Amino acid sequence: MSVATWVNETLVRDKSERRIFAVLGLITVLLVVGVVTGVVGLSFLLFQVSLVGMYALLSLGLNVQWGYAGLINFSVAAFWGLGAYCAALLTAPNSPLGLGLHPVFGFLAAIVVSALVAILIGIPTLRLREDYLAIASLGLAEVIRLIILNERQWTAGSSGISGIPALIPWLPLTRLATTASVVVVLGVLIYLFLRRTHRSPWGRVLRTIRSDEDLAKALGKDTYQFKMQAFVIGSVIMAIAGAFYAHLNLYLDPSDLVPLTTFYIWIAVILGGTGSNRGAVVGAAVVIAIREGTRFINDVPAIGSLGLDVAPLRLLFVGVLIILIMRYRQDGLLPPKDELIWPAAKDKASAPSGGSPKPQTGGDD
Amino acid sequence: MSGDVYEGAHLGKADAVLKTVGLEKAFGGLVATDDVSIEVERGTITGMIGPNGAGKSTLFNLISGFYELDEGRVMVNGDDVTELEPHERARKGLVRTFQTPRRLEGMSVREAMLVGPGPQAGESVFSLFFSGDEVTREERANIKQARELLERFEIGHLIDQPSTDLSGGQLKLVELARAFTTNPDILLLDEPVAGVNPTLANDIKRFIRELNEEGQTFLIIEHDMPFIMDLADPIIVLDQGKVLMEGTPDEVRTDDRVIEAYLGGAGP
Ligand SMILES: Nc1ncnc2c1ncn2[C@@H]1O[C@H](COP(=O)(O)OP(=O)(O)O)[C@@H](O)[C@H]1O
Ligand SMILES: [Mg+2]
Repeated sequence: MSVATWVNETLVRDKSERRIFAVLGLITVLLVVGVVTGVVGLSFLLFQVSLVGMYALLSLGLNVQWGYAGLINFSVAAFWGLGAYCAALLTAPNSPLGLGLHPVFGFLAAIVVSALVAILIGIPTLRLREDYLAIASLGLAEVIRLIILNERQWTAGSSGISGIPALIPWLPLTRLATTASVVVVLGVLIYLFLRRTHRSPWGRVLRTIRSDEDLAKALGKDTYQFKMQAFVIGSVIMAIAGAFYAHLNLYLDPSDLVPLTTFYIWIAVILGGTGSNRGAVVGAAVVIAIREGTRFINDVPAIGSLGLDVAPLRLLFVGVLIILIMRYRQDGLLPPKDELIWPAAKDKASAPSGGSPKPQTGGDD
Repeated sequence: MSGDVYEGAHLGKADAVLKTVGLEKAFGGLVATDDVSIEVERGTITGMIGPNGAGKSTLFNLISGFYELDEGRVMVNGDDVTELEPHERARKGLVRTFQTPRRLEGMSVREAMLVGPGPQAGESVFSLFFSGDEVTREERANIKQARELLERFEIGHLIDQPSTDLSGGQLKLVELARAFTTNPDILLLDEPVAGVNPTLANDIKRFIRELNEEGQTFLIIEHDMPFIMDLADPIIVLDQGKVLMEGTPDEVRTDDRVIEAYLGGAGP
């Protein structure tokens, strides 16, 4: 089966999406051609792929919280930072802890610590109206940043942590190729995990909570538990993205925990299509393309000759993009299309009803 | 009206699914529920009427746990559920619908129906990965039940529609069907035919009666007098947060206090 057929059958849901995937495919081809002809540096491309992968993980995490369950989390950067610091502190030999453990332990610590912090934030806020989590998470982001900045004896404060080891050094690949492969594998695994949980009774309850929590309660669903699960799963995915970043950048300091990351991830999820995992990944790619692309705009002769520094206008481009999306594709690039029904049950069970004018193939529609 | 015209509801029923004892609720200075004790006998369609603002919806919210009680107790099947959360009361068999229909954004009618049954194995992330077959089996059974119920309610053709595209009446039917899939001991319906066209309202009446004949107990708030008089027996009359009386439709229809309550309510 060719790649195009596979994409068409598993990812594309309707005609308008075919165009989006065609554009994405074209860009991929151009990048590959660019690398082959030497226009684009391979290590540059691999670094960008790693960044997109990391942003995709963050967006997938936020999508579980906001897209599935309607939870407003403004501490994406904080959970990401927690994960990054867990990895850096445990694995860098010259970190204040000085343990120099295997990266696996960094990832495990990131998972455990982020889950605990998510539960601690969730307990007082998830029983209340949705705005309480929003406010608490705003506070959390700042608290975590300040703790890392000021508790020097534990975190090295503003001098940062260097000497973080690279991932899987024995692979016969360059460091960046290994890192990019790791994030792709992580991304695929987490994507598959989320896809399975989304199209299921669990995902259905979350969507019900998102659109009407009282209704879910009236039908006997323990909405607090469901929201907690979504919040913890999303936060853990964000922390995994952070742990990955520590091993991508090999150096970490508190200035990486800027709230701007949280903003970019929200944009990625909304741009991609709130509630859609495919959308979260594509949204992440678009945001990175803008963020990194604007770095090079000054090099374009026509723009450089204007004597204008365009890079700082990055946020303006993001703003314009949001307006365009809201105008022409209100639900985002790839809004959720699947019925949240367990695919294995759907095929046979919905077949006998027949007479449905809507053409259906397999588990997707 | 003096206090003693409030006769209260009939108590001491043989087999009460739902029982409330001295429910009290005030919003600031406004007493919305004032010493309400009622009982709903198993197998009945019990009606609840009263002028606008009499406190009917508030009473439902208290019974189902969505509002916190100031005073009083709620019992389901003899168990005290006063301290339980709304979802726990639902699990005990006490299931309610809402006065304003709840639309599920981004869900088809089929999906909206499937939220009803519970607890489902597939509502646990763990089961999704380790007992996939059980999830599949349950999901198939639930899809089948949803389709059959929608067909029975003569809206089987809507199963693929986005639930946001339904008319108010169709939505009320889906809500009734979904509430029924929770397998409740008592269904509390808040104005099931408000804003529904007469034809569909008649259908809804027929379906409620059918379910009742199969043993389903109902407590129904309704503003539409002919509808509720035709469907329910007994009927409880609420006025200014208090139980005015309980009786057969005929007794209620001819009761002077009820007439006065409605005329008074329609006054200034
Ligand atoms: N959440 C609330 N906050 C304040 N007042 C309320 C609230 N809910 C109901 N009320 C008041 O309680 C009274 C009874 O309302 P309600 O139970 O909705 O009446 P009904 O359903 O019989 O028309 C009204 O005066 C209403 O304004
Ligand atoms: Mg009401």
